[in-house]
Amino acid sequence: MSLARARLATRFAPRLFPTARTTSVASTLIARRLISTSPCSHAHHAHAHPTAPPKLESHLEERMKDIEHLQMEGFRGAPQDWEKGPSALDKAVHLFFFTEIIRGMWIVLENFFRPPYTIMYPFEKGPLSPRFRGEHALRRYPSGEERCIACKLCEAICPAQAITIESEAREDGSRKTTKYDIDMTKCIYCGFCQEACPVDAIVETQNQEFSVETREELLYNKEKLLSNGDRAEAEIAANLHADHVYR
Amino acid sequence: MVSLYRTIRSIQRVGLREWWRQMQYIGDAKSGTFVGADQFGNRYFENRNGEEEIPGRHRWVDFAQHNYHASQVPPEWHSWISHIRQDPPTADPVVQNLTPSWQTPWVENMTGTRGAYKPYNTAKPKINAWEPKVTGRA
Repeated sequence: MSLARARLATRFAPRLFPTARTTSVASTLIARRLISTSPCSHAHHAHAHPTAPPKLESHLEERMKDIEHLQMEGFRGAPQDWEKGPSALDKAVHLFFFTEIIRGMWIVLENFFRPPYTIMYPFEKGPLSPRFRGEHALRRYPSGEERCIACKLCEAICPAQAITIESEAREDGSRKTTKYDIDMTKCIYCGFCQEACPVDAIVETQNQEFSVETREELLYNKEKLLSNGDRAEAEIAANLHADHVYR
Repeated sequence: MVSLYRTIRSIQRVGLREWWRQMQYIGDAKSGTFVGADQFGNRYFENRNGEEEIPGRHRWVDFAQHNYHASQVPPEWHSWISHIRQDPPTADPVVQNLTPSWQTPWVENMTGTRGAYKPYNTAKPKINAWEPKVTGRA
């Protein structure tokens, strides 16, 4: 910006103010400013380094010698000998008898007799990650005590606002949830809840086969989530164990 | 379909009866080593020979029930058949050590049946209906 303005000033100043004597002064000032602010890539010290690298040279002539013969023929290579190629009759036969189409169909027929790549789903399954995010579950400590402390961090971070928590102090004074509802129709399975959880209580298990027939079955409450965790605790714990070195 | 050689080879290994069962359920003649069975009677097989089974199809389950469903696989075997864990749960010390004593038995997806989950409120209701108190007449 300032540079452009300075150049404009040097260009128009003699025309606008022909009698002004400041032109030379201004140009020298601008020149000094340009030198001081613009980087100079080819600057080097006056005392040249003895082991300085050689100057950049292209050796264009030497390299062009190798491809001179190619240039002579216009990069087309040697002229083809059409006498040795297929005759016009051969080409017409291939054209009118659909040989290319038949060759393509032969490839289809070959693959018809090859073992299919289809994974037969309920019997065979594709690979899953231990970090796969499926159905939710609430975990317990090895003693059987439920982990959730009703800090509501998962509720706060849930981008779909699918989690609803209400808490109360239990008789022994510990804060536990009385209501932990997840609306699985809202959930987008982002995994933020299990990342926000400070006690690894809410996790997303690797179960993805929990499709249901009615909508209300997807409104999970605390008991359902706890039973999910109780049934799959071995798998959840093994996955967390497999991943703990990366956390 | 698969090659005739592969079918004949599988029949030779598993027998006609097992082959007929495979054709009724998996729809493909497969042969491999028996890895184990879970508490429901589902049998798990593996064939890690890359020439015989395409990678990705090398682990499979033979369901015990006729009305099979993917959720009939218990979670320990689910992690094996989904290639999450390398070893089956019968030979995996991590899964065995991390199985708590209070783990409840696995239940398959019961949707569409009377055992399906019905949501209910686990908290006390905040609004109670008015219960009028009337002093008895003398």
